[in-house]
Amino acid sequence: MDWSTVMADTLKANGYDMVAYVPDEVADRLLELLREKDAIAMVSATREEEAVAVLCGAYLGGKRGALVMQGSGLGNSINAICGLAIGIQIPFLIIISERGRLGELNPVQTPMGRAAPRILEALGIQSFRIDKVEDVAATVEGATKLAFASLLPVALILSTALSGGKTWR
Amino acid sequence: MAMNRLEAFRRLLRLLDREPVIANLGKNCYDLFVAGHRPENLYTWGAMGSVSSVGLGLALARPDLRVVVLDGDGSLLMNLGSLATIASLRPPNLVHIVCDTGTYETTGGQATHTAGAADLAAIGRGAGLSHVESAIDLDQFERAARRGLAEPGPWLIVAKMEGTSTTAKVPRRPIYDKYRFMEAIESV
Repeated sequence: MDWSTVMADTLKANGYDMVAYVPDEVADRLLELLREKDAIAMVSATREEEAVAVLCGAYLGGKRGALVMQGSGLGNSINAICGLAIGIQIPFLIIISERGRLGELNPVQTPMGRAAPRILEALGIQSFRIDKVEDVAATVEGATKLAFASLLPVALILSTALSGGKTWR
Repeated sequence: MAMNRLEAFRRLLRLLDREPVIANLGKNCYDLFVAGHRPENLYTWGAMGSVSSVGLGLALARPDLRVVVLDGDGSLLMNLGSLATIASLRPPNLVHIVCDTGTYETTGGQATHTAGAADLAAIGRGAGLSHVESAIDLDQFERAARRGLAEPGPWLIVAKMEGTSTTAKVPRRPIYDKYRFMEAIESV
């Protein structure tokens, strides 16, 4: 099975009720599969910070959420991650498709690609890289347990080795 | 003459039963706290601009509740995209009230763009919202709030308000408040 199918099934099996996202080519198939799942609310946000806030509101309403975005969206998401999610201890899963890392072709994507691992670390957000489709299910399940035990967001990095990266159009 | 916010909040609270109210950081929190602290009030302390999105997430998660958001003009100007997202998802149970003072009150009263040319009600309509009300006095505000609480939305109510000098500080205990709020709306 492809990684998108495994991830969509595992998210469903782990009780996620809402996925907020900013559209992305790498995650396109994943989002399409999630849209087909019953009882997962899909929120297409205009920017990543908005998506974080929507998931925080859903958590206050007793729902479990995941954020799907490109690595380049990390910068946009940080104010709400700090001022809401970490600040009042709201957990959710952050699924990041890598940009600015192995195979990147866009020069201006590379600064955030270099900085992203240390930004997550500086925020105290534990992150786990997924390189192989065999690791998807166990990593999603483990990260879910960790997020909801630590009451903090936990990040999964979809490496370009896993996803094949972005097509240059 | 714009309406007094503290008085507007008192009128709003008289219309409410157990509806959750999420207040934007700063003066909206202070005035809500003074107008009437209740367990269903959530006071926010950071992530300026995101309170409408928090309200959207809660409204989607809990269709059984009418969710009231007390936003600010400076804050909403930071997150205008949320109006398009709300208009697109159309949660009928969201009542988004903007207390439009034309100033960044908590940082010293500097002018926002609504003191100049920007019109948040027009922006809301342009984003695709079809239930948009403007209010410039307390009676108009109360009428709009009554409609928003009774009729399917999502509602955007832009209320021209005066800044207030409320200095009563809300207790700074956001993690405790989160649990208290979640318990009050029966999410935990």
